[in-house]
Amino acid sequence: MVSESKNSTKKTKIKTLQEAISQIPDGATILFGGWTVTRKPMAAVFEIIRQGKKDLHLVSNPGGPESDLLIGAGLVGISETNFIGHEVLGIPYCFRRAFEKGGLEKTGYLHDDWTVQTGALRILAGAMGIPFIPTKSLKGTEIIDPEHDLLADLRGKSKKLPNKKVEFIQDPFWDEGELLLIPAIKPDYCIIHVPMVGEEGTVRIHGGLFMDFYGALAAKKTIVTTEQITSEDYLKKQPDLNSIPAEFISDIVEVPYGGHPTAVQGMYDLDFEFFNRMVDSTKKEDTYVQWLQEWIKDLPDHDAYLEKLGVKKIFSLRADPGLGYNPRLKRKS
Amino acid sequence: MSKYTLREAMAIHASRQIRNEDKVIVGTGMPLVAAIIAKNCHAKDAVMLMEAGPFDSNPLALPSCVADPRGFVGAPWVADPVQMMGMILQQGRIDLGFLGGAQVDKYGNLNSTCLGTYKNANVRLPGSGGASDIGAMAKRNLIIIAHEARRLVEKVDYLTTPGWMLHPYENGKRVKDRLVHRKELGLWGGPEAVVTTMGIMKFEEETKVMYVSEYYADLGVTLEMIKENTGFAIDTSKADQVIPPTEDELYILRNVADPENIFI
Repeated sequence: MVSESKNSTKKTKIKTLQEAISQIPDGATILFGGWTVTRKPMAAVFEIIRQGKKDLHLVSNPGGPESDLLIGAGLVGISETNFIGHEVLGIPYCFRRAFEKGGLEKTGYLHDDWTVQTGALRILAGAMGIPFIPTKSLKGTEIIDPEHDLLADLRGKSKKLPNKKVEFIQDPFWDEGELLLIPAIKPDYCIIHVPMVGEEGTVRIHGGLFMDFYGALAAKKTIVTTEQITSEDYLKKQPDLNSIPAEFISDIVEVPYGGHPTAVQGMYDLDFEFFNRMVDSTKKEDTYVQWLQEWIKDLPDHDAYLEKLGVKKIFSLRADPGLGYNPRLKRKS
Repeated sequence: MSKYTLREAMAIHASRQIRNEDKVIVGTGMPLVAAIIAKNCHAKDAVMLMEAGPFDSNPLALPSCVADPRGFVGAPWVADPVQMMGMILQQGRIDLGFLGGAQVDKYGNLNSTCLGTYKNANVRLPGSGGASDIGAMAKRNLIIIAHEARRLVEKVDYLTTPGWMLHPYENGKRVKDRLVHRKELGLWGGPEAVVTTMGIMKFEEETKVMYVSEYYADLGVTLEMIKENTGFAIDTSKADQVIPPTEDELYILRNVADPENIFI
């Protein structure tokens, strides 16, 4: 039997958070995994803020605090998403400030509205290597009104944007009438946060996968931050529990509580208290600047962030292993 | 009989719109609360779905959003958004969509995108999420919204989610002087009822214009109050008083669906 040594010639993908994020150029198109306030790669987002990446192009499906905080930090040029918000945890004030009451003109920020289904299909098309895909959604809505297309002036000029937002087509095969073609999303980077990764990159996610698998395939490079790195041998014992093969992962970063303050199923719950304070700070530009200074910029790295958060807080969020969340957590202040 | 609030009444009356064998896809907030009430009262076989993945969710605690790990507990399967929204919803396999929004117009069109004009909005809202898809492709739709004149409007500031009557597109342009029935655009389904903090609105068979079907007389709501708090002329001539919430429904709402008062 010929067996190749598992670790012999392969270069390790394991990096520090600083190293993994430093490769991202300004202007990169990034798809953050997770879903609004669940399993968002927040430590990676905070490191992006620390490193001051500029003119980012966000394509999360849907967006949550990661999008709002990056917009508020002035690091986002374009977003193409179906939603940017914090669910029950409050209003996305940074997104609102950038968009409403002349905000667009002042900041130059551009946003393109989509829906969960069409955003998911656009990423699927990217993952399938096809340039577009049909949908039965969007008909009759203003989401496809060219008068609202803030990216219109860039289309056909920027290689990072599709030439058109949508195209109407009559079903040429089965006479099912009119459908819309929507363009693929092809991110430069997909960044996801997961509970467990093998040392070569096999990903294991508990609960909702959201768009993470499709995102990893659609993107040129996928950075995974993880609660824990484990052995590939352990993950191979039950391959049906694994979510993404190592093949599609470019970089691995071990970042315990790297999803905080969002929830990571099976690991820890949403930090309502911290989240509320964070969202409160975003109500005004100057208080948000202070929050960014205190919780991100003044701290050298994620370890310092965890130290500031404190052991008591960290333990209070831990998930019940049978439920995947903390049933004793006080959810309303 | 215990006392109850308008919001509690709204949640309970919304829950009654769910039928026992419905596959119902719910959004964050009141739809989740109402679906859990239904599953614990008259619609025990209803299957609750969420766009973030839970399929046949049977939560032990109220999920605070559609991606909350609480929603994944007790589900036999978890979908991803491509499967749930690109396949199951688009195939027409979901019986009932259950949506909120910032504005609804007299044809049941919903706005969850912005107030004012899009490019210079007075208020920018989080955006469609899956609402637009669900409104387009569920077999029936149910809308839940606080009854205020600024919310029930003649025309939504931005049409995020399709209701009954829509402007068609020709050569890629929206034809603003023409309104057509959603069927002409190839859409099935459509909004069945709008449950508010004052009553239950439905849509005329022919014109698809919203009218008052039932109102919360038990809470002191009058048809005059509904007219005053509706942003368009609404027909109240067919309105009946609702059957008030039962003790069982109130018990389930307060002790099972939302004991932590997260949405109520």
